[in-house]
Formats: sequence, C-alpha cells, structure tokens
Amino acid sequence: MDSKTPLENLYNIEPALSSSSRRNNLSANSKSLGGNSIREVNFSDLGPKPVKYGSRGAESEIYSMSQREINDEDARLIQINDPVKTNERFEFAGNSIRTAKYSILTFVPRNLFEQFHRVAYIYFLVIAVLNQLPQLAVFGRFASILPLAFVLLVTAVKDAYEDYRRHRADKIENNRLASVLVNHEFQQKKWKDIQVGEIIKIHANETIPCDMVLLSTCDPTGVAYVQTINLDGESNLKTRYAKQETLLKIPEKESVSGLIKCEKPNRNIYGFQANMEVDGKRVSLGPSNIILRGCELKNTTWAVGVVVYAGRETKAMLNNSGAPSKRSRLETHMNLEIIFLSVFLTALCTVVSVCAAVWLRRHRDELDYLPFYRRKDFSEEEEENYNYYGWGLEIVFTFLMSVIVFQIMIPISLYISMELVRVGQAYFMIRDTQMYDEPSNSRFQCRALNINEDLGQIKYIFSDKTGTLTENKMEFQCASIGGVDYNGGKVSSQDQKDGYFVQVDGKVLRPKMVVKTDPELLQFARSGKETKEGSHIHDFFLALAACNTIVPLIVDTPDPTLKLIDYQGESPDEQALVYAAAAYGFMLIERTSGHIVIDIQGERQRFNVLGLHEFDSDRKRMSVILGLPNKSVKVFVKGADTTMFSVIDRSLNTSIIRATEAHLHSYSSIGLRTLVIGMRELSTSEFEEWHSAFEVASTALMGRARLLRKVANSIERNICILGASGIEDKLQQGVPEAIESLRTAGIKVWVLTGDKQETAISIGYSSKLLTNKMTQIIVNNNSKESCRKSLEDAIIMSKKLTTMSGTTNDTGRTLGASLTPVALIIDGTSLVYILDCELEEMLFELACNCSVVLCCRVAPLQKAGIVALVKKRTSDMTLAIGDGANDVSMIQMADVGVGISGQEGRQAVMASDFAMGQFRFLVTLLLVHGHWNYQRMGYMILYNFYRNAVFVLVLFWYVLFTCFTLSTAINEWSSVLYSVIYTSVPTIVVGILDKDLNRQTLLKYPRLYGAGHREECYNKRLFWITMIDTVWQSAVVFFIPLLAYWGSTIDASSIGDLWTLAVVILVNLHLAMDVNRWNWLTHATIWGSIIATFICVIIIDAIPSLVGYWAIFEIAQTGLFWLCLLAIIITALIPRFVVKVLYQFYTPCDVQIAREAEKFQARSESGAVEVEMNLILDHPRQ
Amino acid sequence: MSSNTPSSSAGGVGSADSAAPRRNSKRPKYSKFTQQELPACKPILTPRWVISAFMLVSIVFIPIGVVSLFASRDVVEIIDRYEIECVPQNLRNNKVSFIQSDANKTCTRRLTVPKLMKQPIYVYYQLDNFYQNHRRYVKSRSDSQLKDNSSWNDVSSCKPEDMSNGQPIVPCGLIAWSLFNDTYTFSLNNQQLAVNKRGISWKSDRDSKFGNDVLPRNFQNGTLIGGKSLDPTVPLSKQEDLIVWMRTAALPTFRKLYGKIERDLQPNETIIVTLENNYNTYSFNGKKKLVLSTTSWLGGKNDFLGIAYLTVGGLCFFLALSFTGVYLVKPRRLGDPSYLSWNRNPGGH
Repeated sequence: MDSKTPLENLYNIEPALSSSSRRNNLSANSKSLGGNSIREVNFSDLGPKPVKYGSRGAESEIYSMSQREINDEDARLIQINDPVKTNERFEFAGNSIRTAKYSILTFVPRNLFEQFHRVAYIYFLVIAVLNQLPQLAVFGRFASILPLAFVLLVTAVKDAYEDYRRHRADKIENNRLASVLVNHEFQQKKWKDIQVGEIIKIHANETIPCDMVLLSTCDPTGVAYVQTINLDGESNLKTRYAKQETLLKIPEKESVSGLIKCEKPNRNIYGFQANMEVDGKRVSLGPSNIILRGCELKNTTWAVGVVVYAGRETKAMLNNSGAPSKRSRLETHMNLEIIFLSVFLTALCTVVSVCAAVWLRRHRDELDYLPFYRRKDFSEEEEENYNYYGWGLEIVFTFLMSVIVFQIMIPISLYISMELVRVGQAYFMIRDTQMYDEPSNSRFQCRALNINEDLGQIKYIFSDKTGTLTENKMEFQCASIGGVDYNGGKVSSQDQKDGYFVQVDGKVLRPKMVVKTDPELLQFARSGKETKEGSHIHDFFLALAACNTIVPLIVDTPDPTLKLIDYQGESPDEQALVYAAAAYGFMLIERTSGHIVIDIQGERQRFNVLGLHEFDSDRKRMSVILGLPNKSVKVFVKGADTTMFSVIDRSLNTSIIRATEAHLHSYSSIGLRTLVIGMRELSTSEFEEWHSAFEVASTALMGRARLLRKVANSIERNICILGASGIEDKLQQGVPEAIESLRTAGIKVWVLTGDKQETAISIGYSSKLLTNKMTQIIVNNNSKESCRKSLEDAIIMSKKLTTMSGTTNDTGRTLGASLTPVALIIDGTSLVYILDCELEEMLFELACNCSVVLCCRVAPLQKAGIVALVKKRTSDMTLAIGDGANDVSMIQMADVGVGISGQEGRQAVMASDFAMGQFRFLVTLLLVHGHWNYQRMGYMILYNFYRNAVFVLVLFWYVLFTCFTLSTAINEWSSVLYSVIYTSVPTIVVGILDKDLNRQTLLKYPRLYGAGHREECYNKRLFWITMIDTVWQSAVVFFIPLLAYWGSTIDASSIGDLWTLAVVILVNLHLAMDVNRWNWLTHATIWGSIIATFICVIIIDAIPSLVGYWAIFEIAQTGLFWLCLLAIIITALIPRFVVKVLYQFYTPCDVQIAREAEKFQARSESGAVEVEMNLILDHPRQ
Repeated sequence: MSSNTPSSSAGGVGSADSAAPRRNSKRPKYSKFTQQELPACKPILTPRWVISAFMLVSIVFIPIGVVSLFASRDVVEIIDRYEIECVPQNLRNNKVSFIQSDANKTCTRRLTVPKLMKQPIYVYYQLDNFYQNHRRYVKSRSDSQLKDNSSWNDVSSCKPEDMSNGQPIVPCGLIAWSLFNDTYTFSLNNQQLAVNKRGISWKSDRDSKFGNDVLPRNFQNGTLIGGKSLDPTVPLSKQEDLIVWMRTAALPTFRKLYGKIERDLQPNETIIVTLENNYNTYSFNGKKKLVLSTTSWLGGKNDFLGIAYLTVGGLCFFLALSFTGVYLVKPRRLGDPSYLSWNRNPGGH
C-alpha cells in the first residue's frame, strides 16, 4: 500500500527549495499556478519511513476523492476581511475555547449525571432510595445515604479541581492578544474575540491563534516557516506559502476582499482543501497554504492570514481528544465474579424471605397478639393492622429489605479503591527514576488510568522499528570512496570535538551536530582535489552536500560570535549525509530555488541548481544537475544500491565497482543503511537536450510524473561511481538486552516495520531478535495462491523443526529454550493477501510456532490488522509500542498501547495508554511494575470480595436468629463505616505499596513474569477458595459469641459491638497475614485501622440517643468478651494459615521461591544481583 | 553488530542539546518512598516460624481453656422451668385463656441448692423463643421520650403502642408494653429471703438514658395489657425492671436480671419460691425459667468457651507436631532456585 500511494499522491512544488511538508493534490491546482515554474514530481522520500508518509499519503488520497469541487452544502464560505458578512448566514464558532467540562451552574447536575453512568453507583442509588420507603427503612435516612454521598463527593471534588485547572488554562489562552485588522489598521484583540473572516497579523515567535489561510508574509516569495511542535511534535520547521495572488496586497492600504470556500472543519491536520476567489481569479488552496492554531511562526518577521476556522473548530482543538478508555482484563474477570456474588446475594435474600414466609405462615394465628409482633394496632379508634400488608407483600418487603441490609455484598467501595490504587501505582510508575529518559527529559506517562494491572499479563508485544527499537537518529558511519573503505570509528573524538567550522565576518559557523570523522579521510578531504583520491573524495562530498533537499537554517546561540547551522529536512538520512559532508569540510550554507552555496574547505562556492529529480520509490534514487563555478555541468545521483548499479557504467573502474560492492555488502551485514553515489559530467548538447525535455515535462498537464520520470531516467545513465555511504540507524540503548529479557519472560516480540526486508532482518540481528541458530522462514509472495502454498510449506516446516526439538507445548508456546527456534519473516504484500481471507488462520498457526515474527513493509492499517489477528484468536494480552503516526492504529487496537515520546511527534503518545522515552523501559514497566500492579490488584480484588462478604455473612447468620426480620445487632453506623473507615485504608495502601518481590529479583529472573500469564494472582479457583474461607470465617465470627453468650443476659448492642470488632480485627489481620512487605505505612494503616475502629465504636456508643449507649464499656469489662475476640481471630485464621503453609511448602510457585531466595540468599550473593541489573538497565550514559 | 554495542553509543549526537544547561529537568527526585524501596520487613513462613506459631497458640489456648472450663464448672446454677407446672392441671390444654383470665396465678416452687452458693446470687428469669430482637419489636421505642420529659409526646416510632385513648403513652412502644410481669418471692426456712432489686440495670442507662423526671403516663391503659404496669409516681430512671427489659436481648433465648440475693446459700437448703405467673408466653410456646446463679470471672455457667479453647489449642498442638514431622520427612531448602518451574523441567514451558 505504501509503495503505491506515493505515486498517486502528487506533490506540488513551487520554489525548488521547498520539498518539505506539502501535500497538495495537484490535479485541481495546476491551473492556478500561473507564472511559477511548475514541476510535478512524485512524492519523494529517501526512505527511512516510507510507511509513515505512505499513511499520510493515504489520508490525502481519501481527500482527493472529493477533490473535484466542494459542494455548497459541505463548504464553509468565508468573506475575507468581512467577519460580519461571513458570520451572518452561518454561526461559525468564535475563537474562545472551552476545554472545561462544567460551569459553576452546571457542575452539580452534569457531574452527577456523569458519575451515575456507572452501574455500581446506580445500584447504590437504588438501594438508598429503597431505604427511604417507610416500609423498607432498614437504616436511618442519613446513614443510608452517607456512603454514596461520600463517594460522590470525593469524585466531585476531584473533578472540580481538574475542571478548575482547565478553566484557568482556558482563561489564559482566551485572553492572549493578537493583531487583528480593524478599519485598515491592526489592533490588539483578545484571542476569544477573533472571528472567522478576520485578517490577522502574526509576528515572529508568536503562537497562531486559529487556523488561517496565509495571505502574505514578509518574504517576497510568500514563504513562512512554522514550527508544529505543539500540534504533531515535529520540531523541524515546515514551510507554508501565501498565494501569488494575495502576496502583494497590503491590508492596511487597500481593502482585501475575496471569498474562500473551504471544507467543513475536520481533524485531519495534514489535509486542507479550499479555493479562494480573489480579484475575479479562482485560486485553489491546499494544506501548504494554511497555518494552524498552536503552531509558532519562526524565522519569518510577519505573516498575514485570514481566519478560516476558529476556536473549537480548529484542527488543533478537534484533535484534542483523550485516549480511548479501556477496561482491564482483571476488571472484566472481576465483573464475572461480581455476577457470582450477586447470585449469591440473591440466594441469601431468597433464603431470608422464604424463611420469613414460612415463619409468618406458621404463626399466622398468633401474629395479632405476639408481644414482639403485635399485628393489631389498638391505639386508634378502629383496630387495624400495623405495618402489615398481607403475606405476599411481606415477603417482597423482606426480600427488598434483605437486599438493603446485604447490599455491600457487591463491593461498591472496590471500584473507588481500585481507582485510588491505580492512581497510586501510576504515581510510582511516573516517579520511577529508572524510567526517566535523560536525553528527552521525559518521565514515564500514565495516560490511561484503568489498565495498570494489564501490564502484568502481556503475552505479545508488537513493536515498531524506527524510533522505537532504533533512535531514528541517522549517523554517518563510514564511506567507501573510490573503492577504499574509510571506516573511522576507532578514533578518539576528543581532539575533534568541535568539528568543522567556518568563519564568516568574524563569526563562527558550525553545524549543529558533530559527526565522527575518519582522520585519514579527513586529511584526504582537506588535501584538495589534486590527487586522484582527492578529486574522488571532493566529488563524493560535493554530491553529499548538494544532492539533497535539505534547507540550512542559521540558528543563534547565546554566544554572539557562534552560530549554528541546523539542517532541516524531511529525511533523516539526508540530514546525516549533509552533516557528514559538513564535517569533512563541505558545508552547505545556503539554498535557494536557483542556487546553493557550499563552503568547501573554507572557500565559499556557489553552484547553480539547474535541475532536480526528486526521489521516487520507483527509481529509488534522486539526482541533481549542478552548474559548477567552472561552467561545467554535472549530474550527481544518489540512490539505493539495487537501482544504482543498473545505471552505473560498468565499463569504467570495474575494480572500484567490485570493491564498492564488497563494501556495501559488509556495511549492510552490520545493519547499516547504504546509499550509492555517482556522478557524470554532462556535455553541453546533453544538457540542452535534457533541459528542453525537462521544461516540456514539467509544464505538461497530463502525466507529468511519468514524463519527469522518463527525463530523469534519460539523464541518470552511464554514471561514474563515486562511492557508497553507510549510515547507521542507531539502535536505542539497551534494546537487545530488553528484547532478551522480554523473551525470557515468555513474551513474544513481533516487530512490525515499514522498512524493507533486508533492513528489517539486519536490525533483527543487531537487536538480538534473530540469532544465527534460528531457522528463518520467509514468506514473500505476490498472490493469494502462492501465499497459501508458502504458508502451508512453512507450517509443515515449522512443525517439523519444533517437534523435533520436542519442546513446544500444545498451546504453541515456545520459549527461548527451544532447540531450533523458527523466525518468521513476512512482508506487507503477502500480508495484503493473507489478512483479508481465510489464510489468516494459517498465518496465526504458523506464527504461534515461531518464536520471532518480523513483518516488514507493512502499512499502518496492516499493523493494526496483525494485532487484531492475534487479539481475535487468543485471549492473550497484547501490547503495541510505537512512536509515530503510523503506529497509532496499532496502539489503539492493542490491549495496551505504549507510545515512545521520542522525536517523531505526539500522535503515538496521544493515542497511547502509557508513554515513555525509551524502548528498554518496557522491561521495567512490564517485568517490574506490571508484575507488581497485577499482583497487587489481583489480591486487592479478592480481598475486597472477602472483606465485604464476611461482614454480610455475619449479618446473615444473625438474621436467622431474629425471625428472619433483618434486624442487625451491629449498629447501623458501624455497618456504614465498615467499608468506609474500618477496613478501606489498609487494602488501598497494600494495593499501592506491597511488593511480592524486589525489582532486582524480577529483573534477574524475567520468567517470574509468567505469574501473570498463568493468572496466578486472580483466578476462579482462588475466588472460590476465598469464598469458602469467607464462609468459614464468618461462621466463626458469628457462632463463637452466639454459643458463648447463649442464654445469657447479653443485649443486642453489646454482642453487636463484639461482632463488629471481631470482624474488623479479623479482616485486618487476614490482610496482615498476606502482606509481603511490611514498611511503616503498612504498619500504620493496618494497626491504625483497628485502633480507629475501636475509637469509632467507642464514639458511637457514647451517644446517649442511640440504643447501644455505653454497651462497649459494659462488655469490655468482662473477660468473656476478650476471650471471645481472641478465640474468634485465631480459630478463623487457622484454616487459611494451614492451607497457605502447605501450599507454600509443597507446591511453591516461582514467586514464592524467588521471595525465599531474596531473603535467604541475599547475604551470600550480595552485590551480584545489582551488577546484573546494571547490565540490563544502567548503561552509563555519556 | 559491534557497532551496536552500548560502548559506542551516543556518539556525536545532540551535542548542542546536552551542552545546553538543562533548566527544568523532569527527572523524578530520588527518594526511598517514590522508588518503592522503603525499609521493610519481609515475613516468610519458614518451618520454624510456622511450628512456633502453632506451639505458641496451643501454649496460650490450652491453659485458657482449662481455666475457663474450671470457672464455668465453679458456677452453681439452679434452673427451674415453671411455665407449665404453674398452670393448674385441668387448664393445661388451654393455657392461653388461663393466662388471660383473672384467675389466681400464684404458684409455689421448691428449689434445692445443690452446692454452696456464695453471695451475690443472681436471680434471673429466662425466656425461650421470645424474639426480643425482632425488627418490629426493637424499633418500637422512643429513646427521646425515655430521656426527656419535654418530648413525652414523641411517639412516632412507637407504633403500634404509641397512643392510648388518644393520649401518648409514656413509655411508649412494644418493648415497654411487653414488660415482664412475673414476680418472685423467695423464702428460706420460712424466712423471707431478701431480693435486692436495686442496681440490677446499667448505671449508664439510669444516668443518661432514662430521665429522672420522666414519669410513666397512660401506661398499660389500652385494650390489650401486654405486661407489667408501672408506678406512675416513680420516674423511669428508678424503674430498674423496665431499664433491664429495655436492653433488648440479642438472642431468642435470654436471661434478664431480676434481682440479687445477698447471702450465701448452703447445700441442700430448700428455697420456696412464690411466684405470680402473669406473663403470657403461651401464645408463642415460650418457656419461662427461673434461674439462680452464682457468677465467676467469666460470667455464667457456659462450658462452650473452655471447650473451644481446648479444642483449638489441641488442634494447634497437633498441627505443630505434624508439621514438624512433615519437615523432617520431606524438607525443602527455602529459596533453592532449582525448585523454580523452569529449572525443574528444563526447556519446558
């Protein structure tokens, strides 16, 4: 897909220097381009990221469908400089923005509305409402509303604070000033007052307040540079153009008027189409004519534009949406268990109501006079039934009342606890110094707050290559010039730290980036072109400096005598080459449409650029025709080796060609990206011939691209080889080790890249993804049938290989230990055929047999398709990691999306759930934090189920002894406070702070991560065991006091206090028994909760108006109370303790052994662990 | 591949970046807390710990069990169930109508003291199958009315016993209405045995829960008499029978303190109890018992706790022994990496 779209996406280039960032569809524009020299060239890209640009191309392709004419209904009409008229027919949005959700008036209703979107809260509310009915009033009014009110209040305060901050930010943003044209002069106006149709003047370094079409700039050719870092994160400057027709108009002097007809607001920041009628002429506008809100104007003194989209209709605001919310796997499982619990709850309620019905039936004759029932009310004139509505209704009421009493069986507080725990976990992940990226100064970011625990169960990682595994910083490594390999890596770089520089007017001009140089080559380059080598080298570097589309920008530094040259361009390869040329003394200083200035060894030379054939993916090369100062004309060609050798004149310098080929081979085998450079001198006749052909081709209306390609092919022949360059696409720090760890952890790493197969494989080797031991299966086909065949063959082969080694288990899980691991390499074209038919199944089967899968040349949507393929067929968790816009679909598709906040822009980060600076942090994130989060959350959920169920069951047992009438011995306030104060804090603190294992241990034994894969911390078995334990514990809590106090004078409030304290202490000690790591916070919360419960019970019992007045003081004086408490706690915990001990001793899980090892072997091996960890994580940075 | 080794990393990259002073580094501040490295103790259930825990429990529990069992055995209790015996033989087939009639309900019981009973001897009445914890029942009271004379008409929560003849009842509600009204008089050797009925309720109740200015009003005046009437001249804080009754029992079988006999009773002494069998438990087959009991530090006679402690203690002792055996027979070195799943079956999953 990516290889085709560029051909269809035609690029419109006005001045020759501008190749960057303009995506116009030419067919509609060509007429309007009047006097400018027009050349139509194909979408160009030297190839580091074909996929990425391909994806953008795909977008613009979609737009080109509707390009013909914008329908009147779909268009918005803007009268230039006439906001009144523009807005009179349509109410366009003003420029004030509002990211805040609420206003003071709407806060309460809207916030409540949003909060009640949760089913749990509705359940809460329904129960609170039921309780308000007089027939069902189990709890007091206030007590029944308190928990809900508390939860709502906490959330509302949190929301209000967030919204307040948004309000403040909005206010600052809306009150910024901009110069707006009012009555022929520019006046300062607040951003929020800007209207569509107004003309605005922006000065250098100002932020653009709304989306505007450029009318004119300070530059006579109408160029403006903008930095779009706020929008897409790309820090290089983009060029934008004002149209010729409006360029010369000065709004202050003459009234500019016209009509812009543009598409409706949309969020595509790379697309824009419109046309403008000005002075009776119709001009078409594209994305290069619009500057967007949030960008900054750079290197341009001023620019004037007309507002087309304002406020919330700007592209920046339309793109301002949060990450999609996902739900964690654990939570999904948990919901199932909650259904079990509600079934259980219903069962309890049914038991109670059936028993109540039977009781009523059996005593139906006595009810009127039973002293504790007394159905008849004699106090009124007439005898009537008091609070009795007949047998049927009584049962219904009993049922509903029991739901109210047993409501906390469904652990509502769990949802809030989980959120708090996740916030706490996120806090620690963000604060982790090991996930802080020094070079980009970026911390770990937690954008999604509800899938923390999924990080502990990842089974598949889908990784992008460029920018994720590699740094996307191209570095010139070595060159083969004239058959000699200059391979300068061994030199200490101290003496040449400053690199090459030139002096102009007493000022030092230096390239922004320093490149390592080969001293031998440097000497040759300095020696001039007298010798044969010298002239070869001279031409080679001249080609590097000239044959590109780089724009040099002079940047000031704090030191007034020093200026830096920043080479801006779209292709990182070209940048690397130009920096390299500069380092060897061929510094590109200036580029305009007609000429370039290159400083060659201190001597400034001007070259006329006579023609430029841009890179296209068909030719895979570009060429430039230079008029040299000595009047000779030369064509310099640079391109991929495959296509270059076909145009190189093989009769010349055969030995050089052979040597170069050998060098190329060795370069690519160490993972370098290679380019071949050649040159030919043109004779006058040849040049004339080319020139006329070029003129014809570039003004042609039909098939311009084809014609230009033909012209290019005609001139790019019989090239004399100059040499080849090797550029390193540097692997990010620690990537091989990280991949190694992840694979040992049982995670399958799939690399999905847009690169070509060879590059992908070479990166695969250098990142240790592929090893020499592996058998590679390459699927590379062009039709469905051949795909099917090769897949079938591959499956057979992989089966044979893996069964021979006999280490694959039936689920297809192959771990690194397998004897002949198989690597599958598949390319995008094959995937096209495979992904949209039944071959998917075969691919999946094959992929499962392989320990490594490498997909190359894949388009963004295919990436998502592959993720979907795995997601659909397994229940395993998937994680996608990427850095570019092309990874967005994959990131959103995967269960967990991770964005690399590197150089390439913010889209990946914006779409991701987590963002971090380096690929290697993934190890810490998954193996350490993921493991912890999963373990903590899994335990917390189980514990919360237990905690609430044990309390409910105690209430239930008591109900069996009260004629099934739902009276509770436990004070209603204690019931309410139970899950709010008595037991909530320890579980949250443990959920945030408990660690089953050290960071060091987890990194040392990556396989411990398997605990998450095997769902060791939360599964159905554990749930049921916990529930059985719950029943036992609740029975102990209830029946020990019952039997001890049977037939005694005990009153309900006193025994209720005993039950309350027993449950709370038991539940907290249960937690204490399972805590893995006791730090002072754990101690404080667990013991603190118990003490707090005593205090609360004492306070409640000190209120004289309550029934239980002074009960705790009376009962606490008796020895029986304390003995009961002790007996309850020990007896209740014994079974759990015994099972735990037996389980840990006989079938210890890996985590358990590692924990023991951590404790008992730490002394003997102290230090060793740290060293190992450092190897993985802490490569010393320079 | 050598070019990718970390040692050659970050060659000439971004020299300008790194040279620039980093104004606002976002590097998280290091602290033990944020790095989750707070000093902590990591308890591990080692065999030694487990066995000593079980031993400790059994060492603590068995003596407690023995002591409580002794305490319970020391308590001397005389229980006399009288609700059937006190109905004349001929009326026993319709006890309800007997109890509702105006017939003489005096009844005499003889109780023999089995063992020496040291003073104070508590006199209880015990009701079985009486659900003082029934929801309708426990809700039917007005605490504000009991405490404060000014809110004497606050009877909204007292239904169905809130008003009588159009006037609010003080104390209102089912609980007060159903006040137990059997009376006991004890004589020993033809001498009246004094029963002290003061101080049988909680002091806190007398002081703070029942007002000393709240006088019974309009009580037991309705169509249906539930139980005892109260002297309208005595404030509620002095009506200790009411206060005891109003501390509703937790369980359907309960005792309420009737009074205290403040002298020792010798073995084989016979106490003659003259009782007024007024209270209607016949309509719900409730039992009535008169209980004379001494008390121990553990309360009344109840072997359960002692047995429970002995059982748990014994169980723990047994567990301690069996775990010791288990560890001796089949030890496992703690933290031995060879037990890790991937080391146990190499190459496996």
